[in-house]
Amino acid sequence: MSAGPDDTDRDLGDRASGDRDLRAAEYVLGTLPGPERAALDLERTVDPATEAMVRAWERRLAPLALAAPEVAPPPGAWEAILRALPRRAGTSDGRVVALNRQVRRWRLATAAAGLLAAGLALFVAVGPRGPAPAAPGARYLAVVQGGGALPALVVTVDVAAGTAQVRPLGAETPAGKSLELWYVGADAAPKPIGLVGTAPGRITLPPGASADGVIAVSVEPQGGSPSGLPTGPVIYTGKLIRE
Amino acid sequence: MREDTDLLPLLKRVAAGDEAALRTLYDLTSPKLYGVILRIQRDRSVAEDVLQDVYLRVWQAAGSYAPEAGRPLSWLCAIARNRAIDGLRRKGEIQGPVHEDGEDWVERLIDPHDGEAALVGRDALNACLGRLEPAQRACVVLAYCEGRSREELAARFDRPVNTIKTWLHRSIAALKSCLEGLS
Repeated sequence: MSAGPDDTDRDLGDRASGDRDLRAAEYVLGTLPGPERAALDLERTVDPATEAMVRAWERRLAPLALAAPEVAPPPGAWEAILRALPRRAGTSDGRVVALNRQVRRWRLATAAAGLLAAGLALFVAVGPRGPAPAAPGARYLAVVQGGGALPALVVTVDVAAGTAQVRPLGAETPAGKSLELWYVGADAAPKPIGLVGTAPGRITLPPGASADGVIAVSVEPQGGSPSGLPTGPVIYTGKLIRE
Repeated sequence: MREDTDLLPLLKRVAAGDEAALRTLYDLTSPKLYGVILRIQRDRSVAEDVLQDVYLRVWQAAGSYAPEAGRPLSWLCAIARNRAIDGLRRKGEIQGPVHEDGEDWVERLIDPHDGEAALVGRDALNACLGRLEPAQRACVVLAYCEGRSREELAARFDRPVNTIKTWLHRSIAALKSCLEGLS
């Protein structure tokens, strides 16, 4: 290899960014297959760079959408909307509902397909399901499956203690990069919770973290995101599963 | 009528939970959004469900509208297209054979219509679409305007799905560099 590490990094970054822009464009065109579309839906809620790419394509193509001929909606459509309007509770704001919807949609989809691009697949471990409410101190986990025999990464979350245990197994960090973990809570702003190391580590969750949150992993410059928000591709997002 | 100066204050009031403002917004914008949805979801009863879903979403998300997301009407159209396409892709629904080549949608782009003569970016998009190979332009337009999937386009143009994907990617790259060159 004659290229220096900097060149390799830049090439990798360019390729990842170009690929992400193509996915954003196909998402806006509507041609991404269902599971990849659902994965990108969630990715845009946790990754501002992806969201910006989607917005840019929406802007570029908007004149073609606005060219649609107007059609009067059927009578009664407004009344149906009015009946379905959720009455606002004091604590709930629009973004919370929006994120919950995204998460629900993601869970309905068969997921994972869009994440294969990064060489990681999400392995969803379905625990025993029951109507029992979450007990205080319940533990949750997320499992990231790599290409090999071992899972890449296991994240165990103890909500009551506000901590998470990260066990890297087969995780491969791209050369010169760090994998950074994010917690996305009800307020939808991703909070950095630590880097994926080579050894098991205990990390502290942001105050108020709950089992409703989403864990995301992004590729960042060595040492983690300089901005406090994800800057690289989000290679995994997953809902916590009751252990 | 549907100028930004009318829609911006309405969105703010909707964000604050004002149902009357949502009603006014609905009256001003629903014919356009229903038109956008019907091009993609041709079943009128499903399209009506999508329309309801869109305004519920607007009710919940109006507070997150930022000018970076584009003009208010573009933002609303993006939500409408998204919800309509979500419905198709989730069910893996096939809409029936594609007969058109999308040229009538491009022509609508050229003609001033619905009093929106001063549409930002319209001429640039039209010029850049015009530089694409006709079949590749048709794929972009039929996907965007009618919600056609890669598989439906493959059947329409009698090409493998992978070729359609390559066409789309090539068109995306060409459009981007063309639009950046013109702006």
